[in-house]
Amino acid sequence: MERKTKSILLVFFGILIAFPLFSMTYYTMVRTSTPEFCGSCHEIRPAVMAWKSSTHVNNAQGFVADCMDCHLPAPHDTVDFFFTKTMHGAKDVLAHFTGGAETYDRAVMRERIWATMKNDQCMKCHRNILHMPGKRGAMLAHRKVLYAGNGEEYRCTDCHRDLVHNDRQFFEYKQFSAPYRANGLPNLGI
Amino acid sequence: MYRRVTFTLAAMLAVIALTAIAAGAQNFPKVRELRMERATPPQGTACIECHKQETPGIFADWAMSRHAAAGITCLDCHQAQPGEQDISVAHEKYYSMGDLPMGEKQYFVPVAAAVTPKDCSRCHPDEAKQYSLSKHANTIEIMWKLDPWLNGGMNSDNERKTGCFYCHGTVLKMKDGKLDPDTWPNVGVGRLNMDGSLGSCTSCHTRHRFSVMEARKPETCGQCHLGPDHPQIEIFNESKHGDIYHAFKHEYNFDSAPGAWTPGVDYRAPTCAACHMSGSGDVATTHDVTERISWETQAPLTVRPSEFKPLPAATDWQVERDKMKNICSQCHGQSWIDDFYTQLDTAVEEYNEVYFKPAKKTLDELYEKGLLDKTKFFDEHLEVEYYELWHHEGRRARMGVAMMAPDYAWWHGFYECKHRYNKFMEEARHLIDTNTKAYRYPDFPNATGDPTRPAEIFGQ
Repeated sequence: MERKTKSILLVFFGILIAFPLFSMTYYTMVRTSTPEFCGSCHEIRPAVMAWKSSTHVNNAQGFVADCMDCHLPAPHDTVDFFFTKTMHGAKDVLAHFTGGAETYDRAVMRERIWATMKNDQCMKCHRNILHMPGKRGAMLAHRKVLYAGNGEEYRCTDCHRDLVHNDRQFFEYKQFSAPYRANGLPNLGI
Repeated sequence: MYRRVTFTLAAMLAVIALTAIAAGAQNFPKVRELRMERATPPQGTACIECHKQETPGIFADWAMSRHAAAGITCLDCHQAQPGEQDISVAHEKYYSMGDLPMGEKQYFVPVAAAVTPKDCSRCHPDEAKQYSLSKHANTIEIMWKLDPWLNGGMNSDNERKTGCFYCHGTVLKMKDGKLDPDTWPNVGVGRLNMDGSLGSCTSCHTRHRFSVMEARKPETCGQCHLGPDHPQIEIFNESKHGDIYHAFKHEYNFDSAPGAWTPGVDYRAPTCAACHMSGSGDVATTHDVTERISWETQAPLTVRPSEFKPLPAATDWQVERDKMKNICSQCHGQSWIDDFYTQLDTAVEEYNEVYFKPAKKTLDELYEKGLLDKTKFFDEHLEVEYYELWHHEGRRARMGVAMMAPDYAWWHGFYECKHRYNKFMEEARHLIDTNTKAYRYPDFPNATGDPTRPAEIFGQ
């Protein structure tokens, strides 16, 4: 066989093997990025149910922020997304089979995510938080977050908590709810 | 002739009538108008339309505030999250009263009467965070850790509510869907709210104006910081700072933006806030009044704020003193500032070593020898004498020096300390020499207060 034919064949075989591999990986990524998939673990199910009734799903804009949007880096940060997702997946599967439901305490996990959730996660969608003429108080507070001084650092979750994963008896449509007000800082006292 | 007279009279009458109408018009009270033309949700408009009629004083006050200027309405502070503890059940019925403006179900919003620092933190996070660290916020805890009146049950619940807790704050509770009248009304600086936050921003920025101007004036601090045991306002009034304030306050500009209140530009001499809170020179504004302090002149034994046992400050007194010196240097030269601190340190040293420590040592000896009884404080004369030595004259002397009031440093201060000390020692020595037990007041009046520390703060 000529060298040239050999090379072409090799490239052809490469593509033949690599493309299904690539598309299977992609398919797996998409399939495992749905709230339904996340909720297939019974520990996570209550969080998914609560999320479904929240304003992050039910609003006049028809906008839905799903698990990935908040809890993983943006998919266009491909490498970051891929590794974080894989790490999470591996850790969660391990925890699910070694610990089980009794080791998963929702209250503890809520506190943990509030303490670790990066502001960038929220600001992927909530990008224009300085110009809200109807909510100047919020503008003032957001200024403190974006231009924090004196070594102060504020997290979105300092003021915005108990927002999505609350167990509700009804669908909380944003357009039918009382005007949204953040909770204010935690731990200002005892 | 007649015609001329008539005409003149008519003209005069017309002038008088017009003048009267013009003068009368000025005396017609005019209700403040407000057109809800800015972005306010319908629920917010409902609050305003109704309260304009029901509580016009509150409405007018708010309408004059910077909050109103910024479009911050009732809802922004009073709206509660469903499920919160302090939601007013009584308020719900107004949404079904047809005779009230916009008293309709569709405008229903859960509201809470007591607005807390946590609520304020939604827009003012830095201020709330700094405040939460301060002795102001934690004053209930400090009070219970130190105070013999409370711990010994030596005064009545009502004496406490109308006295101590008025400034220090109550532990808010709910009763039958309303705030418990035993704990409310209250705007004490250390009020424990239902959401766990401490204090009440309206202690200094009163409802519903929430004015920065008000908190910059000494009279505001003087609501609580006065009287025989901590006469800061009297001290201020006597000091050169206070004298200049009273002489020139009509020229002061109290309304500059936060962080822009400038010594020499907006004011000639400082007020309490100017030195203790406002930003000045290189020092940033703070709502933690413990900052910039290098001695606890209110404590029995003067200590550094970081050594104040009931609430050790997370500060280094030297850093804080440098901050305060930087404030001083906005108006004063270096030697003036340094020499002032020399005299303060000397006064503290003398109070500690010459007056307090020997008195405390003698008191301990009396307890040790069983001549004084430890079960209750204040029920023996020497306990009262000792208390007044540090709590009254001792504080007046130290604070008088610290804030430059010669009368309080000396006549109301160290002069009184001397006599109190001598009387205390005379009586103590007499008891020790004759080995006599001190006389106990058998019918100490109204010592009926509950000595239990509030579980909400101290745990069960």
